[in-house]
Amino acid sequence: MDKKTTLTQQMAVAQEPEKAIVERKTGALSWVAQNGIFIFLAVLILVASFAVNGFASLENLTSILNRAAPIGIVAVGMTYVVISGNYLDLSVVAQVATAGVIFLAVGNEYGLFVAALAAFAASLVYGIVNGVAVGYFKANAVIVTLATTYIGLGLLRFFSGGSIFFGNPDGPMEQFGQAKLGPIPASTFVLLAITIVLSILLTRTNFGFLVKSFGVNEKATRLAGVNTDRVIVGAFLVTAFAATLAGFVFAAYSNTAVSTMSQGFDFRALAAIIIGGTSVFGGRGSVLRTLLGVMFVSVLNNILVLVGISFGYQQLALGIIILLAVTLDVLSRKLGEK
Amino acid sequence: MTETIQLGGAKETGFFPRLRTIIGRRTEGRGVILLLVILAVLAFTQPLVFTALPVTIGRIALIGIVALGLTAVILMGELDLSVASTLAASGVVVAIIPDLRIAIPAALLMGIVVGIINAFFIAIVGIASFIASLGMLFALSGLAFVLSNEVPVSIANQDAGLAFGQPLFGPVTPRILLFFLVFIAIQLFVTKVKAGREFFAVGGNRQAAYDSGIPVKRRIFTGFIISGFVSALAGVIYTLELTVATPTAGSTVLLASFAAAIIGGNYLKGGRGSIIGTLIGASSLGVLQVALFLSGVQVPVQNTLIGAILLIAVITDPSSLRAISARVRATLPDRTKVEAQ
Amino acid sequence: MPSLTPPSGGTQRERKRGKMRKSRLILAPAAMLAASALILSGCAAEETTETTESAETESSSDDTTTEEAPAETFEVYALFPQGNDQAYGSTLIEPLQANGAELGINFTLSNSGYDATKQLAECEIAVAAQPDGIMLWPAVGSAVRPCLVAADNAGIPVWVINTDVGPADAPLTYGYSGPDTYGQGVASAELMCEAVDGEEVGIIQVNGAAGNGTAIDRDNGFTDHVEANCPNVTILAEQNADWTPAGAKQVAADMISAEGIENIGGIYAADDSMVDGAVQALEDLGEDASDYFITGIGNTKLGNPLVKEGKMYGTVFQSSVWEGENAPEYMHRVLTGEIAKGDRVTAYMPSVKVTAENADDPEVAPEW
Repeated sequence: MDKKTTLTQQMAVAQEPEKAIVERKTGALSWVAQNGIFIFLAVLILVASFAVNGFASLENLTSILNRAAPIGIVAVGMTYVVISGNYLDLSVVAQVATAGVIFLAVGNEYGLFVAALAAFAASLVYGIVNGVAVGYFKANAVIVTLATTYIGLGLLRFFSGGSIFFGNPDGPMEQFGQAKLGPIPASTFVLLAITIVLSILLTRTNFGFLVKSFGVNEKATRLAGVNTDRVIVGAFLVTAFAATLAGFVFAAYSNTAVSTMSQGFDFRALAAIIIGGTSVFGGRGSVLRTLLGVMFVSVLNNILVLVGISFGYQQLALGIIILLAVTLDVLSRKLGEK
Repeated sequence: MTETIQLGGAKETGFFPRLRTIIGRRTEGRGVILLLVILAVLAFTQPLVFTALPVTIGRIALIGIVALGLTAVILMGELDLSVASTLAASGVVVAIIPDLRIAIPAALLMGIVVGIINAFFIAIVGIASFIASLGMLFALSGLAFVLSNEVPVSIANQDAGLAFGQPLFGPVTPRILLFFLVFIAIQLFVTKVKAGREFFAVGGNRQAAYDSGIPVKRRIFTGFIISGFVSALAGVIYTLELTVATPTAGSTVLLASFAAAIIGGNYLKGGRGSIIGTLIGASSLGVLQVALFLSGVQVPVQNTLIGAILLIAVITDPSSLRAISARVRATLPDRTKVEAQ
Repeated sequence: MPSLTPPSGGTQRERKRGKMRKSRLILAPAAMLAASALILSGCAAEETTETTESAETESSSDDTTTEEAPAETFEVYALFPQGNDQAYGSTLIEPLQANGAELGINFTLSNSGYDATKQLAECEIAVAAQPDGIMLWPAVGSAVRPCLVAADNAGIPVWVINTDVGPADAPLTYGYSGPDTYGQGVASAELMCEAVDGEEVGIIQVNGAAGNGTAIDRDNGFTDHVEANCPNVTILAEQNADWTPAGAKQVAADMISAEGIENIGGIYAADDSMVDGAVQALEDLGEDASDYFITGIGNTKLGNPLVKEGKMYGTVFQSSVWEGENAPEYMHRVLTGEIAKGDRVTAYMPSVKVTAENADDPEVAPEW
């Protein structure tokens, strides 16, 4: 049997419902369904600009972008794991902190280049261990990445003693952290660059196509003779590389790194991905949508801090927004089908 | 997923073949092996784990109780990420209502309500459980902070709390007793009650479950109510035993209970698994943690070790080994592709 | 959901046979992995036996009292919420163990990661192990009563460090040594009031992690003192950050946007690392931090240079070495009966204020 034809057929079948929905949806509702997150973000920004003191200022734009960059880079990378139908990568918490500490601890001693090599070597290990266990051993991604989180943070804390590492003043890390084009910090360009690269990788390459098809139907993809295991390793590698980049950006932001710096990145990144509209069932979603999700969460968080809302209400709001966003998404899709 | 629990299947005759099918059908293998290995090592190195058995069991109960409720959901192929936040929020509810006779039912009711809300979003609205419960994870954790005003809240009746931590008879504290009651109740429910047995069908092949007339949505409600209720019960236990509710309670619970369920052989995509497996998984983790604690090994090293054991446990799943052995054989030239699949 | 999966090849029986062969194949790697797990846990266990054995031999050889070696050896379980995973913990544990060894105290350390329930469980295990004493660094200061009651019932003395227990629980312990957390907040407020010197000033406040005991006590100490003693200082906004510079930088930047930089005259952060982040937020706006009244707590390796550079007016020294050295001393006095039950001792670490005047003194050299 010709493998390629089979796979294309399978994919065609799998994507049929979506195509049908798109065609049948008419008018405003379909537009809402397609662009929900974009509209919410626009409305949020518009309302806040008038109602919230200090929101509409260049300084605050910088602050929002600074907040968005590290978590955004993680989320954009993790979108690959989510689209491939593997829930999430919990170990990004360990990966970001490991990279951050390596960039400062090693970077101070041996320079940025050696540090970058070391950090990416570490991410290679993370990506391969996670990917092989999930891809080749068919183990569950949640537990595999939980295990690598334990191992990674354990090792990091063992070797770093939990100290806060700070970069040399005026060192390359600090310079990057300070670099700005107008109000836009350098980290934003990293976020945009990786979003564009990963978006092209997902939509224009064979690898991206396979990641998506794997999420749509694991068995079909495998039966078509595709080496699915390698695709999964690839998805985890993309996530690991992104997390390392995020570690660099985040460490540069305050010119410090500590093993606890990325606490909560796992579920926060997932929240951004989901709010952006990527399906955790796998197969559906895009990197650009994740970027919108990240911006939404960052703007929301910024607004809540600006108006002096305490931590508890911030969490509460984030939870409700997730439920609302997803409910609206699902409902508009359902209505669109009728 | 077409791999479902083999209901019935071909009858094997003879004692050993039948035993083999029984064992082959069980999912707890790894958990049992892990537990045996740990116990064997400890018998030589840390006999204290056995002399301090009540404490060890108490630890198992602490880890396991939430995992038991979670398993009910996992059997259906759903996930509940909100268990730890439910625990924290209900724990705070126990503390902020002065009269325990009202506070405890209120907290438990809250667990049920959380389960209903989760199930509503999943079964009625049609959101993936992973996402819906992620929303609840944040919302309830926020609620715990809001209700407690972001500080630890002591319960009004401190003596009742302290009494709750004392053994009822022998070494059995209320926590241990409740843990085993929950275990027995859920175990009986999923093995003896029709509605509970249907959990496996819902998780194994949802379409088939619909077709055979199983009220899938109602089962999802049942499952999430169990999970929510048990988490809330754990929250009540936590608060009473500590005599204080902390909004950060249960920070380690979510991932630990997932680990217990998975080590116990429960299949996260549903249909395969058992409550006994979760009990075994929780026991392995509990004994391991007690032993590592007594050994005084540095905590980062402990965590690395726990992670390594988790990783080994998860990649030695029979289906993982099958997958990998198929891969190996697929690369050998004298085998045909068909067989490898 | 239509199934896209075609039935896989082979009859039922063939597949079954295949499965069985595979199940035997599984055994080999499974056994190997089990063995490796065994070795892994064996390694951990080996370490354990070593420590306990050495303790035993010591105690047996030291039965007769000699002048040189410690008179007795004591087993103490140290129930901490942090350890080598955090800078303060690791710089505290080093002198703790060193001084403990001199005094003949063998510590078994635990780390509950600020989970009060986990710490209670560890306490239960510790009590069951029947040590000579328990050293408790509460994960949550108000959530220790069950642990104290259990230790009391078993006749095991408890010494508290770092975060003191409430007055109702105090009689169940032999004493406390460590920082005066509330007092640190007060001291930082005193520095702030001193720096501001009667001027009308609005400040922003960065607290520690939400729900954390130290964060709450320092917040209360600072707020109470400012309210009572220098009403000219107004706290415009406050937020929690997670003790990290990056987290503090983010919330500080947001609070500055909200209040307007022109309305802000100062910053208080509950920890020097967070001061560092807040200072960066100011500098990112092109401001000179030395134009602002800034105080912190800790005198850490990040904070001390800030004081020297004039970016931070002052901070309050929290010495991990002081705490680590003194804790075994007091524990030893309890174990030898010098401190009896009932005469509770409270030994506060001196809350030394560090400003530009004394920041270079060797006594306040940063430790963590």
